[in-house]
Amino acid sequence: MERLTIKDIPLEEYTITPGSACQGCGPALAARLVFKALGNKVIRHGVPSCPDSVTRTPHTFSVFESAGAALTGISRALKVLGREDVLAVGFIGDGGTYDIGFQALSAAAERNEDILWFCKNNEAYMNTGIQRSSATPLYAWTTTTQVGPRGRGKETPRKNLPFIIAAHHVPYVATASIAFPTDLIGKVLHAKRLRGFRFIDILCPCPTGWRFDPSRTIEVARLAVQTGMWALYEIIDGREFRLTYKPKKLKPVEEYLRLQGRFRHLTDREIEEIQRMVNENWERLLKLDEMGEFPL
Amino acid sequence: MTIEVMVGNKAAATAAKLSRVQVAVAFPVTPQTTIVEYLNEFITKGEMDCEFINVEGELSAQVVVQAASRVGARTFCCTSGPGCLYMHHPMHDTSSLRLPVVMAVVHRGNKGMQPDHTDLMSHIMTGWIQWYVENNQEVLDSIIMAYRVAEDMRVRIPIAVGYDGYILSYTAEPVDIPDQEEVDDFLPPYKPMPSLMPEDFDPKAPLWWRVPWEEHHKVIVDAKEVIKEVNEEFGKRFGRSYGNGLVEEYRCEDAEAVIVVMGTIASTARDAIDNLRAEGKPVGLVKLKCLVPFPYEDFQRIGSEVRAIGMIDRNVCLGVGGVGHTFIRNAIYDLEERPRVLGFHAGLAGKEVKVSDIERMAEKTLKAARGESISPLVEWI
Ligand SMILES: Cc1ncc(C[n+]2csc(CCOP(=O)(O)OP(=O)(O)O)c2C)c(N)n1
Ligand code: SF4
Repeated sequence: MERLTIKDIPLEEYTITPGSACQGCGPALAARLVFKALGNKVIRHGVPSCPDSVTRTPHTFSVFESAGAALTGISRALKVLGREDVLAVGFIGDGGTYDIGFQALSAAAERNEDILWFCKNNEAYMNTGIQRSSATPLYAWTTTTQVGPRGRGKETPRKNLPFIIAAHHVPYVATASIAFPTDLIGKVLHAKRLRGFRFIDILCPCPTGWRFDPSRTIEVARLAVQTGMWALYEIIDGREFRLTYKPKKLKPVEEYLRLQGRFRHLTDREIEEIQRMVNENWERLLKLDEMGEFPL
Repeated sequence: MTIEVMVGNKAAATAAKLSRVQVAVAFPVTPQTTIVEYLNEFITKGEMDCEFINVEGELSAQVVVQAASRVGARTFCCTSGPGCLYMHHPMHDTSSLRLPVVMAVVHRGNKGMQPDHTDLMSHIMTGWIQWYVENNQEVLDSIIMAYRVAEDMRVRIPIAVGYDGYILSYTAEPVDIPDQEEVDDFLPPYKPMPSLMPEDFDPKAPLWWRVPWEEHHKVIVDAKEVIKEVNEEFGKRFGRSYGNGLVEEYRCEDAEAVIVVMGTIASTARDAIDNLRAEGKPVGLVKLKCLVPFPYEDFQRIGSEVRAIGMIDRNVCLGVGGVGHTFIRNAIYDLEERPRVLGFHAGLAGKEVKVSDIERMAEKTLKAARGESISPLVEWI
């Protein structure tokens, strides 16, 4: 990734936050940062998700289930027309990435299509009103993983999609956060200069779905990273691994969980369980970082 | 111009090559598979300059050509039976976005491998123009014509060219292959509308371009005129045309009754009609090529000239009836004097339809034309 300071962030704005976005919307901010870094030589593809991002760039829109195929079509047509100066960019929710769009995503990654894919990951289907996706974390409440005598929220941890994409041996995979804009934009600028399949998964807190005060979006996003619930890293060519944010000591996950209504029901034991998982995962990531290698 | 003996699937691939397709997608399904193999061969040998994408399924196949067409590439896809059904959702959007994608559908029914028309007919409401063709020459000619029609600015609607699996896909017939220059002359390069390139970006343009239902419907209805024009021009340039592009009439002069068929059954039916005419029986044949948009005007004209029509449907809309039968009855309803309309379901799941079967259906239709009582009105052969 490229190293920059906050002053290096381009001033141009390429997104218009639509009226449909809630106050404090994480994905809207992600769109703003990403398209600042990409500029306007872009065709953005979207599928149903929330909010409808609006960019001052050409855009296409098609079925929820197949963004990977649409981006393939865009990129190949640009190639055949001799317009490889234009980027084919997907800006897709976690549902359109981790779940219904997964097959076409994996296929496009395996073919190493010349595509930039951003997952604006708000950890659930928000457009349809907060249903779980496979990016939803363990024990999170959603309208389809409710809490009651027979339910403790989502029963399983989220799938590790960035690692799965990296296992396709694509040029670039990274995670990012809206609370770390220089890290995020550094990754976007780096990815922009590569060719082939590039994937950046951006954690984007959603006050409406995660149940927190809209003034605290950045705080929540920052704590996700500082507690190790969402680690920032990059994987190059499916071989090199690098953590891009390495605090000396992680903050307790409780600080992150307690801010959010979707985790309000958690018992101390459940929080401990999450803490254990995060610790183990962090140890593993530190080892990978030390080796500098991605093991798959 | 050269004559080559080739199977239907090679005729389809050759048509894509002659049409200078720029983006083609591939996902195998019997009996379509060899089309994508031929395409790959043409591209690998350097005979065809085209992006070839091995997608992971037909849903993605449809979405790839949709997006590539939107950006500005001429696209081709092909499928059969289950793959055709799997594409359903994005097919709606390809039409709504008014993208001139052309697709070959090598018919395969959904109750086994053998052909019937239920695969493509399941998409009647997707807003695709649907043609059903009779032989390998018509496969090749129709795919080339399809690009001309689909890309016409008055149309900009995708077209599916259907032909019966096995009966054509793997059966060799002589095919007259036009010269590349002649095809280039007939088919100018494709330009997307509006342009999607960043330098042409208009922030005031509507967010996503989906045509409203009424306009969408009317554009497809009006495409009939363009189809007729293109069919006629193709005939002038290449010496072959197919009726008026919508329907093709065979020995209908002075007919008291006609039978209506689609696809390969038309070839068998020509023999049956010749036999009946030789016996002095005034029966004609109508080949229904263009199912969508439906040629209402032609059936009103035919319906006012004969006293009975027998529709042979290689399909069934379950719980409703034969698709052709239903549409023809709709077409003739407003005539002052209506002919009788008989229905036959024949050739489903690839069941053989013999000359003698067609003779019998035609004779039954003639009886109805002559006022004899016939029963049942709709029959399974
Ligand atoms: C084929 C299909 N199934 C279901 C839907 C309904 N739908 C629209 S958006 C959406 C969820 C989007 O979730 P995600 O991709 O995570 O984006 P978010 O809304 O959370 O930003 C669903 C289920 C649809 N539009 N199409
Ligand atoms: S529900 Fe969440 S993702 Fe959707 S607009 Fe509101 S804050 Fe943004």
